[in-house]
Amino acid sequence: MMSLPRLNTILATCLITTLVLWIVIPFAMALMWSMVDPGTSWSYPDILPPALSFERWRIMWETSSLKTAMFNSYSLAPVAGMIAIILGAPTAYAFGRLTFPGKGIAQILMLTPIVLPGFVTAVFFASILVSLGFHSRYFAILLGHVVLFMPYAVRILSVSFSQVNNEVVNAARDLGASPFGVFRAAYWPAIKPGLFAAYLIVFILSIEEFALAFVIGSPTFTTVPTILYSYLGYDFIRPNAAVVAIVLVVPNVLLLIVLERLMQSANPANVSGKG
Amino acid sequence: MPNGLRIILLLTPGLGLVMTLMIWVLYRAFAQSFGLYNFNGDDLLTLSHWQGMFQNRRYWNALEWSGYIAVVSATLAVAVAYPLVIWLRRPFKGSFLLSALIKAPYFVPGLVAAFLLINVISYHGFVNEFLIWIGVWDQPVRMQNDKNGYAIIGLQVWKQLPLAFLLLSGAVAAIPDNVLHAAQDLGAGTWDRFRKVVLPMTVTAMQASLILIFIGAAGDFTFQAVAGPTRENSLATLMVTYQGASYSDWNGAAVIGVTLMVLSLLGSIVFAALVQIVAKLMERV
Amino acid sequence: MLRKLIMSTALLGLTSSAVLADDVLLSMSWEDIVAQAKEEGSVTWYQWYFEPEFRVVVEAFEAEYGIEVSIPDVSSVDDAINKMMAEQDLETGDIDLMSFNGSSGLRLTPSDLLTGPIQPILPEGESLETFVEGADWEEYAVQFWGNQTCLAYDPDRLSADDLPDTFVEFEAWIAENPGQLGFNFENGGSGPSLIHNIARGILGVAQADTLAETPDLQPVYDWFIENEDNYILTASNADSLSRFNSGEFIMIATWEDFIAGNINRGEVSDRFECYVPEFGLNGGGNVVGVAKNAANPAAALVLASWLTSAETQTMFNTDFGTSTANGQADSSAALVPDEDRANKTVWGDPLPDTDVVPAVIENVFQR
Repeated sequence: MMSLPRLNTILATCLITTLVLWIVIPFAMALMWSMVDPGTSWSYPDILPPALSFERWRIMWETSSLKTAMFNSYSLAPVAGMIAIILGAPTAYAFGRLTFPGKGIAQILMLTPIVLPGFVTAVFFASILVSLGFHSRYFAILLGHVVLFMPYAVRILSVSFSQVNNEVVNAARDLGASPFGVFRAAYWPAIKPGLFAAYLIVFILSIEEFALAFVIGSPTFTTVPTILYSYLGYDFIRPNAAVVAIVLVVPNVLLLIVLERLMQSANPANVSGKG
Repeated sequence: MPNGLRIILLLTPGLGLVMTLMIWVLYRAFAQSFGLYNFNGDDLLTLSHWQGMFQNRRYWNALEWSGYIAVVSATLAVAVAYPLVIWLRRPFKGSFLLSALIKAPYFVPGLVAAFLLINVISYHGFVNEFLIWIGVWDQPVRMQNDKNGYAIIGLQVWKQLPLAFLLLSGAVAAIPDNVLHAAQDLGAGTWDRFRKVVLPMTVTAMQASLILIFIGAAGDFTFQAVAGPTRENSLATLMVTYQGASYSDWNGAAVIGVTLMVLSLLGSIVFAALVQIVAKLMERV
Repeated sequence: MLRKLIMSTALLGLTSSAVLADDVLLSMSWEDIVAQAKEEGSVTWYQWYFEPEFRVVVEAFEAEYGIEVSIPDVSSVDDAINKMMAEQDLETGDIDLMSFNGSSGLRLTPSDLLTGPIQPILPEGESLETFVEGADWEEYAVQFWGNQTCLAYDPDRLSADDLPDTFVEFEAWIAENPGQLGFNFENGGSGPSLIHNIARGILGVAQADTLAETPDLQPVYDWFIENEDNYILTASNADSLSRFNSGEFIMIATWEDFIAGNINRGEVSDRFECYVPEFGLNGGGNVVGVAKNAANPAAALVLASWLTSAETQTMFNTDFGTSTANGQADSSAALVPDEDRANKTVWGDPLPDTDVVPAVIENVFQR
């Protein structure tokens, strides 16, 4: 009979190969579609595109509103991340370091934006905006993203806050440190990775967010996901959609690798020094 | 400063803001479904928007469709995640890479995933050409926008599996080794250990996974719009259709939105209860 | 979508405050209008399709007049109309020049939204059309885009001699070639045009007929249900074309300009051909008009004039495959053969598409 570890390795290898193919093939096809040379169509019965070039990337960059959409997406996300952290940190502090009646309920309520269907939130948030006569697409979507993704930031930050070592806090106080001194000595090292992780997660989610941007942004405020949706729906043009899909996904994958590292260093064992 | 006040001040900018907006949104949806905030006429508290929808075939079709997709997706995702979690409980060579690969889809935006899938399964796409090449099929099969929604279910499972995986592996990791060992020493087989130890201790995580995936899949718009059958609507796509330019029926959209929330709530309760019952039964058998 | 709401609220109890600047503009000579346009220096055109292509097209206009044109991406014509209505009470709106689908004129009052009448003051106004897709734009908007729905086919797999022409031939063809015809029923009008004309075919309604009321549509539903395996429903105009290009269909319903534009840009193979069968497919057009509260009304007017000029229209015919909207333009480069133009039918009467298409969707496709 085959030994268990050996069986494990074989199974794992098979599964890893499948999953890698499962990821590599679709992306390879997307890349290929994005490089179909405009002017030389890829049509049946050609198995492979007859000509490849980066021409389409240039055209998309120069004539489509991809540039504007990227500007919108990448100017929303960093601000949303910042605001979500600033507004969410006090709540995270209360969740992570204080005990109070109703804390459990408060923590569950904080998850409401995650549980409500995204399109319901988007449509009726839009309805409220109209009644208020609020016209700025940018600020409306920004507020929406802050609220929708704050739960993630609060969750990560409250773990970080709970890992601040009380002994260090007390020691700093005993040594007569100012509140800022205490913060720098005891809090900052413990919450720093969590802060970055929280910021990044809001950033990534904001870049990807579709429902709010689609409902509130129409007809003219585009973000990268809404422009991708337009190339997938009404104006279905596979090669253009491929370009936008890659533009949307690649930066996020890079950010995710950073995030993964941060989350690892946000691990209690590393931060509190308790091992 | 009194402690209570301090806590309220701390919670206000975060939880306070979130709750204000969410309650406002919820209230708006309910109010509009009963005729208030009518943008096309007078505000009038009425059941007529509900009655109108109840007589609309598309409404019932969408409700049925969203329910079907959500139930199947949630069940499948958890059913696939469970064995993986148990298998990967103890690290072995390659297990880290494997769990990273399983988690990866959570961070691929849904629109991109749907686009990649329809590329691969299109009529002369990779899958069709490959299966014809190895001789499984004689001619291409139409898989795009299939009428049973397999593409959407596949996408949902693919996208939501990581969530179930994370929640369940957290719960499984929390089972103390000595408990499992003790069960083993008492002569419990793999199956017995699963139903007497693992299952009861992961019930909460399983409920949470099922509920979150159910809610996510019931509210799906993108997968339905991109890869779903053209003859069906999900509640979300129907809601957007009603609210959109060609109908501009916000009150009708509100009825659909509230229905979607009720479906999510009911689905959650049913799933939570079922898991509880099944776990109890398994323990006894 | 949000605009829709704003519009609805804005409409309640508010009447548009007429901007008197119109009258001044309309009484100016064309030279003065051009001079003022150059002074304005820029113009914003809301155009809901082919935005990237039009950004390239208007470069010639920009070079000629030194007026910068900005074309934002617009999600749909309805969204754009909603935005315009929402802004009609503002002193100046975001929109200078606005494109409409011809039939939207049936539900709008052109004089509420647009400056005009502009047709009389456009230099080539006499060669232009203001009555489009059954809607009278009352000279406030003029057609700048002519389009025709057609059946596109792959000549490699279906010879031009074997094209089904009458409705009976068409029925026989789809029965012999099950799953080889694709069309959409939402997200674009090409499929609806086919559905509409199939219904006319089944009920024996000719374009010249007049009907007192819409007949019972049951035979139409029955036909679509009986033939369910013979046709494939797609998600949009674009979905039809993309799947046609990848060899999934031999024939699709499409727009002549849409497929021609995609052929010219190399998105789809240039071997594809189009025709309009004898049982008819709808043709129509889109119009442009100057917003009543345009910030740059003169520039918008000059752009409208440039878009509708014979020269530009000939270019549209060559580059986009449109049917021309200016009587003086050369229309020889189109994809649909000239003799097929006689088979053109229109939206609306007889047997209005708005009665047929939604009913077929509800009773057949989404039953």
